[in-house]
Amino acid sequence: MNRIKSPEEMESLIQQIIQERGRSEKIQITLCGGTGCHAYNCQMVIDAFEQGIEKGNLSERVGIKVTGCHGFCERGVLVVIKPSGVFYQQVKPEDVPEILSAVISGEIVERLLYRDLNTKSKITHEEDVPFYKKQTRFIFGHNGEIDPTRIEDYIAIKGYAALGKVLSGMPPEQIIEEIKKSGLRGRGGGGFPTGIKWETTRKAPGEPRYVICNADEGDPGAYMDGSLLEGNPHLVMEGMIIGAYAIGSSLGYVYVRNEYPLAVKNVETAIEQARGYGLLGRDIMGSGFDFDIKVVRGGGAFVCGESTALFASIEGRIGEPRAKYIRSAERGLWDKPTNLNNVETWANVPLIINKGADWYAKIGTENSKGTKIFSLVGKINNTGLVEVPMGITLREIVNDIGGGIPKKRRFKAVQTGGPSGGCIPEDFLDTPVDFDELTKVGSMMGSGGMIVMDDHTCMVDIARYFLEFLKNESCGKCVPCREGVWQMHNILSEICSGNGKESDLDLLMEIGETITAAALCGLGTTAPNPVMSTLRYFRDEYESHIKDKRCPSGACKELVTFIIDVEKCNGCGVCKKNCPQGAIIGEKKETHTLDGNKCTKCGICFEDCPFGAVMVR
Amino acid sequence: MSNNKTGAVLVIGGGIGGIQASLDLAETGFKVYLLEKEPAIVGRMSQLDKTFPTNDCAMCTLSPKLVDAAGHPNIELITYAELEKIKGEAGNFKVQIVKHPRFVDEEKCTGCGICTNNCMVQNKAYFNRQPAMIELAAEDAGKVNTIINNYHSQPEFLLAILQDIQSVYNYLPSDILRVVSQQLNVPLSKVYGIATYYTAFSLKPRGKYVINVCMGTACHVRGAGMILDALTRHLEIAPGETTKDMMFSLETVNCLGACALGPVIVSNDKYFGKMTVSRVEETLEKLTVSANRRDAETLRR
Ligand SMILES: Cc1cc2nc3c(=O)[nH]c(=O)nc-3n(C[C@H](O)[C@H](O)[C@H](O)COP(=O)(O)O)c2cc1C
Ligand code: SF4
Ligand code: SF4
Ligand code: SF4
Ligand code: FES
Ligand code: FES
Repeated sequence: MNRIKSPEEMESLIQQIIQERGRSEKIQITLCGGTGCHAYNCQMVIDAFEQGIEKGNLSERVGIKVTGCHGFCERGVLVVIKPSGVFYQQVKPEDVPEILSAVISGEIVERLLYRDLNTKSKITHEEDVPFYKKQTRFIFGHNGEIDPTRIEDYIAIKGYAALGKVLSGMPPEQIIEEIKKSGLRGRGGGGFPTGIKWETTRKAPGEPRYVICNADEGDPGAYMDGSLLEGNPHLVMEGMIIGAYAIGSSLGYVYVRNEYPLAVKNVETAIEQARGYGLLGRDIMGSGFDFDIKVVRGGGAFVCGESTALFASIEGRIGEPRAKYIRSAERGLWDKPTNLNNVETWANVPLIINKGADWYAKIGTENSKGTKIFSLVGKINNTGLVEVPMGITLREIVNDIGGGIPKKRRFKAVQTGGPSGGCIPEDFLDTPVDFDELTKVGSMMGSGGMIVMDDHTCMVDIARYFLEFLKNESCGKCVPCREGVWQMHNILSEICSGNGKESDLDLLMEIGETITAAALCGLGTTAPNPVMSTLRYFRDEYESHIKDKRCPSGACKELVTFIIDVEKCNGCGVCKKNCPQGAIIGEKKETHTLDGNKCTKCGICFEDCPFGAVMVR
Repeated sequence: MSNNKTGAVLVIGGGIGGIQASLDLAETGFKVYLLEKEPAIVGRMSQLDKTFPTNDCAMCTLSPKLVDAAGHPNIELITYAELEKIKGEAGNFKVQIVKHPRFVDEEKCTGCGICTNNCMVQNKAYFNRQPAMIELAAEDAGKVNTIINNYHSQPEFLLAILQDIQSVYNYLPSDILRVVSQQLNVPLSKVYGIATYYTAFSLKPRGKYVINVCMGTACHVRGAGMILDALTRHLEIAPGETTKDMMFSLETVNCLGACALGPVIVSNDKYFGKMTVSRVEETLEKLTVSANRRDAETLRR
């Protein structure tokens, strides 16, 4: 590995790698090695491919590439053959020999192709799958092409070209101007204009200055930051280096959750490799600019995603926020000017520099530019990570990309913004996804969690769930949040177990308003949101819990009973065999009955009955 | 009030307990001598951030009492002095107190502080004095030193150091925390502060298999609660506990980054996606069997 000594050398290295790769006629089998696919045992699939290639003496003709998350984790392990673009899903180790021989003979393994949910027809190529078709994958798209542990893969997609461009004569002010003009806003939740933040930090008095990448991703149910960092660490780092150059910083930190071991590992490898090429360290590309990045692992506290708590955590202290009258751009980490941006915000920077602010500003809506990656999960057919242009409607995301709700159930709501956000009901599905519009309907963009709920999800339970989360995660520094959230959670738990009072709803609103007005940090001020938004749209559900002692969705354990539908039960006996309480009796081939007194509502029979005869009331 | 004294009391120790006792006694009319061996009354409470169970700020509770005790007409402070001898019985004691020398004329000192600034000898404040060094077994000492040296003994890496210790020991043993505190020159209270603040740390030994059940939103709406219930039932332990044979610990986590496969559980780096209640038993088995096989393989090598 040679150090790159000038932007011109960078350019020729890019060309050289692209040409070398262009000459190779090897077939590439790319397969996903992201965290999601690890849960599908992708390591065994990788091993099987390696063994198959070795046994068949195919290493001259076929290579394998383990990439980061492709997005469609639902269908993992994903395998894409390049250059043909044939897309296999749900690949198991035992499928490998068949795939290998098909690759050699140029055939296609039909049974592993994706089958369209509606038309049932088979789809051969990745880009034709409906899940991907409506997406605009400027940022996330490269994940499927590169091996995150090899910097050359990133360079082959013109990686570090933006850095070269910047260092070959764009003055810092011009870079900041470009970012401002692009309209890029922070992807971490606040939506603060990135260019303005950079400018403030650049102008703040004091040395040294720091840049930090926020990969704490505390929103439970969102995993795009982790997947991006794990699948394409150099993209994020290139953004940080450019930002550091514009801001005048010589040291950066990546603050990453410890629950993402693969992301930690990949970003550490990437930093080493970038140092090897002289893309980090002293005198980057011969420009005289020095910059390095350190990785700090978090300790599993949601509030550490908040800027001032994050600084405290990096400084080795307890991650508690501080009051906001001191601006972190001026006094952040170690009390020095600090610029904190989210993973995805940094990842947008190289794109803007390469393509220009004018090009970028054409994507999206008036005040929200570019694309946004969402973690589309919950009760939806196609779960995974989706990148969409701002302004797309929620309906398009849920129905066209997500493929609707499984088991023909009814859509109820989509939750965005994580624990600080709210639930959006069906009536507002045509809301365009954009920072301001989502706020108008009582939710928020947040960092990108998008959790779909069907008619079996109880909205009171969801509100209780978020408040429980926040109760546990409140750092305890200020009273409104520490005590208020605790009280709200108590009230909600009482409602969910059938002990709610009619006056509770007003009380919830009152406590909520007080917390929002008085809490110290963003965790507290937004904590009542899940309750407020569900009260706004689903008050009837709260009322049936309180007045009728009934959970209409059948989710609150204390308020439901399990019964067997005599019409549907054919006496197969599965439920009787599996019930841990011995609560089900019946003879083979005759209708079974469920003894409500013994039943502990574990849900096994409901899950296991092959004929859907167990019902929740 | 001070005219109708009914006797005199000696309170030994000027911490929060002694101060409060003195105030109560003084209020009821006793003459109180408050004896403290350090140069000032204050005690341990001033070193605490918040106090159990009300989470009140320690200094907010303590400082008005300090002022009251110092100014109370019935309380006489005897600081930097120790009890030497005690004679007599209830109702009639005679005590002998040794005052440590202060080398300044107390009558004349106005507390201007110039001498402290000019003194060439810097003593540590008494609450920062080091307790006796902890001796670890050689093997542990080696491991801990390697970890601390990796971070050049810098206190800013306390969090990372604790993470590394936990990954070696599976939990944070208390004598190792003491050693960390001494080597990094960080108060033990701060080490414990961090160890108890971040959920990733455990102060209790954990089982061979630590099963983490994801309780994130995506997993929650897909029934993570039922999986946790099922594991609780099978292992007969509540979340946060460890089985008696030290095989399994059950824990919850907020998101594992595999939300599309919810509900997800992870144990010793192995992920299990799309969990169902009926697969719980089989998963536990798989975990132990595959691990046993791995152990056997390493033995063979
Ligand atoms: C309680 C709380 C948790 C947060 N968690 C995160 C997080 O996990 N990731 C993140 O990028 N920003 C998080 N933020 C927002 C950050 O404070 C900060 O605004 C953001 O990282 C700035 O980057 P951006 O301008 O690029 O969005 C959180 C804020 C609060 C109040
Ligand atoms: S609002 Fe909550 S999380 Fe934020 S500082 Fe106060 S107690 Fe801590
Ligand atoms: S599993 Fe379903 S069909 Fe079979 S006996 Fe039970 S209720 Fe009846
Ligand atoms: S819910 Fe559980 S305990 Fe109740 S009948 Fe079904 S299997 Fe048995
Ligand atoms: S982890 Fe494999 S597609 Fe997401
Ligand atoms: S919510 Fe369970 S893995 Fe993210």
